[in-house]
Amino acid sequence: MDFRFFEIYRSSEYLNLLFEGVLISSSLTVVSGLLGFIIAFFLAASIYWKVIPCNYFSICWIDFIRNTPLIVQLFFVTFGLPLLFEYVWPFWAHALLALTINFTGYFGEILRSGYNSTPKDQLEAANSLNLNKMTIFRKIVLPHTLIKMFPSLSSQFIFIFLTTGIISEIGVNDLTHAGLYIDSRTFRTFEIFIILSFLYVALSLLFKSSLEIIFNKTLKKRM
Amino acid sequence: MQELLLNIFDKPLGIIIFQLILATRFTIYLSLIAFIGGGLVALLITFLRIYPSKIFNYISFAYTWLFQSLPLLMLLFIIGLGIPKFIGKDFDPWYAASISLILFTSAYLSEVWRGAIQAIPNGQWEGGRALNLNFVQTLRLIIIPQVYRYSIAPTVSFLIQIIKGTSLAYIIGFQDLMLLGKRWANSPVIGSEPFIIFPIMAVLYFCLCYPLAIYAKYLEKKYIIEN
Repeated sequence: MDFRFFEIYRSSEYLNLLFEGVLISSSLTVVSGLLGFIIAFFLAASIYWKVIPCNYFSICWIDFIRNTPLIVQLFFVTFGLPLLFEYVWPFWAHALLALTINFTGYFGEILRSGYNSTPKDQLEAANSLNLNKMTIFRKIVLPHTLIKMFPSLSSQFIFIFLTTGIISEIGVNDLTHAGLYIDSRTFRTFEIFIILSFLYVALSLLFKSSLEIIFNKTLKKRM
Repeated sequence: MQELLLNIFDKPLGIIIFQLILATRFTIYLSLIAFIGGGLVALLITFLRIYPSKIFNYISFAYTWLFQSLPLLMLLFIIGLGIPKFIGKDFDPWYAASISLILFTSAYLSEVWRGAIQAIPNGQWEGGRALNLNFVQTLRLIIIPQVYRYSIAPTVSFLIQIIKGTSLAYIIGFQDLMLLGKRWANSPVIGSEPFIIFPIMAVLYFCLCYPLAIYAKYLEKKYIIEN
């Protein structure tokens, strides 16, 4: 019963692994978050515009993704789809796809409720100015949504970032994978998971503050 | 029930679906443990957070902050693998999974409830003081009846997060839907390929979560109209 953190921080190999893990975890999350946001934007827009077949698909998609665990989606994307369609991808590509799918569900729901919560008087004012539908969407609905929903979007982003550790289950060299590897080498299980938790907390704080800076730089002026 | 499933589906698939449905029990039990235990802890934490004492407030703030920023996966690893190795004693996966999910749940639920309590205008507290009610009486008679309507819908929708969170517990060897499904998917039996098993599991999780999602939406609508 003693702490032996030095076994981890003295070895440059382990430090390198952890550093790589941090890079891979955060870059996968950021890329899939951006892709997911773009797709979710169109899903929610199709519901808002009532594009007939697409909006039913989007509603079902969002509900289905939001009500199933990420890990089941991940395993299906990694082990099911390649067998079904006979393709071979590297592990990180599967993880990227699964995370993107997950992000589209959550972001889609947030954006959908954001579009619908645009103040009525603003829409009436826009109609009385005879703006067309596209302009109303671009100039009124979208800025309202982004300003109002930015806190939910960023906290959802961080929540999903905290669950990305499970992509180590399919063999991506992310932070959790590095931790499990070091654990299997040194048997200092308790210490390494404390270090990992610390890194995850630090990364989520970093994401939170950088998202806040982005918000202050871009959207705050329009409030 | 096994007969029925065997009649509808073929030999391997009927058995697999039957076993998966049976294993869903444990997912439900674990979710209930996490929800009830986490709810009780969250009550205590929320109480400490609004109690007029600085030290209690800090303790509760630290608790919520810590367990909200720790990933559930890390909690499971620390409690299920780290601590047993540290003290040299094995934990039952049931205990480890329950404790980590309770910690996770209590942090999030207490945050939801605190938000609901702080949404109550200050005048209500002052009204209580004007009537010479003490802190607990004000809470019981004035605040909680109002908090209820703000917090019930987010609480129900957090239950969905708990059910999805239990799927991670297989990582420390907790035998639930996830572990059994993964075993079947890895097995060489024809008819249990991953692209058959994982959609079935997704549908089972969906059947657990979707009614709750609809109920949460219904509650939200109900209380918004009343307001």
